[in-house]
Amino acid sequence: MIEAHDLSRRYGDFTAVDGVSFAAADREILGMLGPNGAGKTTTIRMITGFLPPTAGRVTIAGRDLFESPTEVRRHLGYLPENVALYPEMRVEEYLLYRARLEGLTGGEVRTAVGEAVERCMLEEVRHQIIGTISKGFRQRVGLATAILHRPGVLVLDEPTVGLDPKQIISIRELIRELGRERTLLLSTHILPEVELLCDRVIIIDRGRIAAEGTPESLRQSWVGNPGLRVTLKDNPAPAPAVLEGLAGVLAVRSGAGGPGSFVLECHRAADPREEVFRAAVERGWVLLELAQERPSLEEVFVRLTTHEQPLEGGGASSAASGAASGAGDAGGAGGAHAGEAGAAGDGAAEPHPAAGGSSEVPS
Amino acid sequence: MKALQATFLRELRAYFVSPLAYLVMCFFLVYNGAIFAAVVSVLNDPRSGGTERPMDQLFQGFFFWIILCFITTVLTMRLISEELRSGSIEVLMTAPITEVQVVVGKYLAALTFYCALWVPTVAYAGIVARYSHVDWGPIAGGYFGIFCLGALFLSVGVLFSALTKSQLLAAIMTFVVLVAVLFLIGLLDNLFNGEVAKQALGYVNLFGHMEEFHKGIVDSRHLVYYGSAIFFFLFLASRALEDRKWR
Repeated sequence: MIEAHDLSRRYGDFTAVDGVSFAAADREILGMLGPNGAGKTTTIRMITGFLPPTAGRVTIAGRDLFESPTEVRRHLGYLPENVALYPEMRVEEYLLYRARLEGLTGGEVRTAVGEAVERCMLEEVRHQIIGTISKGFRQRVGLATAILHRPGVLVLDEPTVGLDPKQIISIRELIRELGRERTLLLSTHILPEVELLCDRVIIIDRGRIAAEGTPESLRQSWVGNPGLRVTLKDNPAPAPAVLEGLAGVLAVRSGAGGPGSFVLECHRAADPREEVFRAAVERGWVLLELAQERPSLEEVFVRLTTHEQPLEGGGASSAASGAASGAGDAGGAGGAHAGEAGAAGDGAAEPHPAAGGSSEVPS
Repeated sequence: MKALQATFLRELRAYFVSPLAYLVMCFFLVYNGAIFAAVVSVLNDPRSGGTERPMDQLFQGFFFWIILCFITTVLTMRLISEELRSGSIEVLMTAPITEVQVVVGKYLAALTFYCALWVPTVAYAGIVARYSHVDWGPIAGGYFGIFCLGALFLSVGVLFSALTKSQLLAAIMTFVVLVAVLFLIGLLDNLFNGEVAKQALGYVNLFGHMEEFHKGIVDSRHLVYYGSAIFFFLFLASRALEDRKWR
């Protein structure tokens, strides 16, 4: 159980984190998303007690982090973004040292190390010197360190960075397994990872929480009307008008697939796929493609964290910043979204350069 | 306590796996062996007239003080600055360990290694004892003095190591401060003649302390002095480590 109350952190005049509150329940995997420099790592460092907050409070497993720091840290496992180990030590030696540092004694130490080695698949490098093993293995040694003392709360900052696709899959499996037994806070850049693993997500931007919810609810509340991708053979001339006339269709845009390809913007509750099919059959059009465009979390992320507005959308700038700051309450979210939808309509299809770098997708 | 012990053992081990430690050991033994040989040959020379206190020769010269400053600097420069540089401080300080435990654990490891450096030199006394009469009091006093001085210098080194990410900078600052303070106090002691000033400077004059130690005199005032100074520097080091959080 992690609770953060109104956490703020300033570095001189710069406010890195500004009034962030959230809670992660037992057996929950909470994802933390945000562009570079949004304050994710600072937030995580405050939760792990590495940085004290300028204001606010953290409780872990019901205990205040500030009042009993060493006690609280016993229940906490942490994998930092930059895993720094002692390069001159051997893997097993390092894990034994960490186990003792965590206060384990006698037989517990060996058992804990054996278990962590097995879970993080470190058997083959067990006796190697840390300085000589690959980045992927070092990352896993870091993860083994975090779970050694079987903490009730696990905080992982970008755990799959630097791993190859096969390792990523196995580490994700491990994370899911670990999340079943404890509270897990996962910070990541990799959006599919959030969708795969997290029960709930918070999106942090400019030091504030921009949105919070399950990946599903975020998608629904933050992305515009659902779209339908339709491709007709030979691009029949009356197609746009006919499609626009169907029940539940709000607008028709030309799609990315060239002539004959359309994107229908549909009413939220409607599913006009059947009507599209019938309309095509009635007129003898050949339907090459009919697919729902699933709004991705990536889109939500880009919308929430993109601040540089396209030049033509002069008026949209205030609406977008309103969306970022007023996202906490559901009512404000809906309103901001409506105002922003037009301006961001085109921008959302291809990630904005500012946030594009953050949505890297492996394998 | 467990955490302190774990840190201590890790640091001590770290000394023995680094080539620097063996280099330092070799250099130190050759250097001290040379001093010892020089002192013995001088004392053996019928023209030298001998001395009442041979330990003076061994533990009082310029070469002795320089090697003392040098060794303590080399042993401490890495201790905390390396953790700050690599970022391993983050996983260390999120473990159930306090800043004080980190500082004390590392300091004790350095002190242990320092003592281990001196152990082989006891052989010199053994060699001399085979061929002539040895007064063990001043020798024990001398070693005790070496222990006190080393403990003090190491605490200064730990402090500077906690102040910077750069080992080199930590080393330079430690060495410069040790040498400067050492010779400044000696210089001031010679400069002032006032009763109070003499007494005050005498209290902090490390040369003076050492002189008494290897006469075989262990004054409790000196013990208080070393104890409180070490406490002070280690306290500052742990505060420096804590201060990192607020920047």
